[in-house]
Amino acid sequence: MLRFSRKMLLGGALAMALTAGVVTVGRQASAADHLDPPARTDPDVDTTPDKAADIADIYTWFTPTDLIIAMTFAGPQAASMPPTYDRDVLYTLNISNDADPTTVEFPINVRFGQDGAATGVQFTGIPGTTGPIVGPVESDLHQGNVIARAGLFDDPFFFDLQGFRATRSSGRLMFDHTRNFFNGQNDTAIVLQIPRSAIENGSNPIRIWGSTARFGGQI
Amino acid sequence: MVRALHKLAGGTAAIASLLLLASCGGGDTPTSPAPVSGNTQTSSSTPPNPLGNNLNVTRCLTQQAVPGRTVADLVVPDELKVDFSQPPGFPNGRLLSDPVVDLTLAALFLDLTKHPITALTALPLNPSANDLPFRSTFPYLAAAQGAHPASTATGTNYNFRTDPVSAYVRVDRMGMPAVATVLITSAHKSEYNDAGPIDDTNFKFLSVINEDLTGFANALSNDLKSAGFSLCATPN
Repeated sequence: MLRFSRKMLLGGALAMALTAGVVTVGRQASAADHLDPPARTDPDVDTTPDKAADIADIYTWFTPTDLIIAMTFAGPQAASMPPTYDRDVLYTLNISNDADPTTVEFPINVRFGQDGAATGVQFTGIPGTTGPIVGPVESDLHQGNVIARAGLFDDPFFFDLQGFRATRSSGRLMFDHTRNFFNGQNDTAIVLQIPRSAIENGSNPIRIWGSTARFGGQI
Repeated sequence: MVRALHKLAGGTAAIASLLLLASCGGGDTPTSPAPVSGNTQTSSSTPPNPLGNNLNVTRCLTQQAVPGRTVADLVVPDELKVDFSQPPGFPNGRLLSDPVVDLTLAALFLDLTKHPITALTALPLNPSANDLPFRSTFPYLAAAQGAHPASTATGTNYNFRTDPVSAYVRVDRMGMPAVATVLITSAHKSEYNDAGPIDDTNFKFLSVINEDLTGFANALSNDLKSAGFSLCATPN
């Protein structure tokens, strides 16, 4: 009973707080990065939202041998919708492995292109590679011990955005931890697996952030 | 004074700046709590700032989130940081399975000397797992939902752009979850996404973060206390 009460109270409190500081425009604020910045990527705010360049989330973790990085974008979207491969968007994974967190020692750039009806992806600048990795989307691409892939995936983020929105609009507590707004939805994503030996630099931490940019300017 | 700290880097400088912001008003921009007047009954309104709440979030930002890292260290610069000597998992990087929303809210609002950072995760407040299981091997993410037949087209000469990076204009950036979306107010979002870690460590947005977090803390405090939690924010 106490547990239930705490949950309910927290739901109300967080709804209020999030309403205060987050939901000031449109339907943004998934607490990851979907639809942010809203003035460029949220269709409720921008009449020409740049879906392809909208980062959803970035993840990174490691195993005893490898560092894995995943960046999702162009979502969340319904399961029936196709992936987004935009030739005019540059996706960059910015990696620092020195003592200065503001420098980028490894800018990994990712671009998409077409050959007729076939869509390809190009990865450049991946530590542990000797040149670009190029190949079809939806395929594991190997060079040495590096693996790279671009494709459509289930959106890995989980959060009760629906309850948050309902709470905002109704003024009533609507949070439900059994409800995940991202259920059944997809993102396009880039996934890399890089040998730690190619990126570790003594005891320095590895720092990673993602960015997107559009050729010729924002739409 | 803020500019005098610009050449400093790392957590100590960030904490120093945050203390400065909290103590002297934040340099060039006001640090009074974000306006939170109004009524939560309509979608266009903002919730009331509980009367009498006048909280200072300095202690929230300077408290230790995990060994060796303060909350300020997590937020500035806006990057995922991986220390190979520590176990993987948020905030040491970010696993696909990490419940980052509940962990982040706990770090920002709760007194972590009295509650574990997993206090909200333990409830849980939000869903605690993805709808599909993640794969244990590359590419780790779960397969796309729905039917998506593989393309039969094959290519060998894709028309990738060869233009220099300078021919592209920034649209979005992301490091830590929730920083850009929760702690940066709408008026500053585009500017924030055009910036980078060097701007973060130059404290370009710390007054915005401080202001927004103060507004959150003021709005949350009564309900969190009622729920039995101790807050990291302190009365001014």
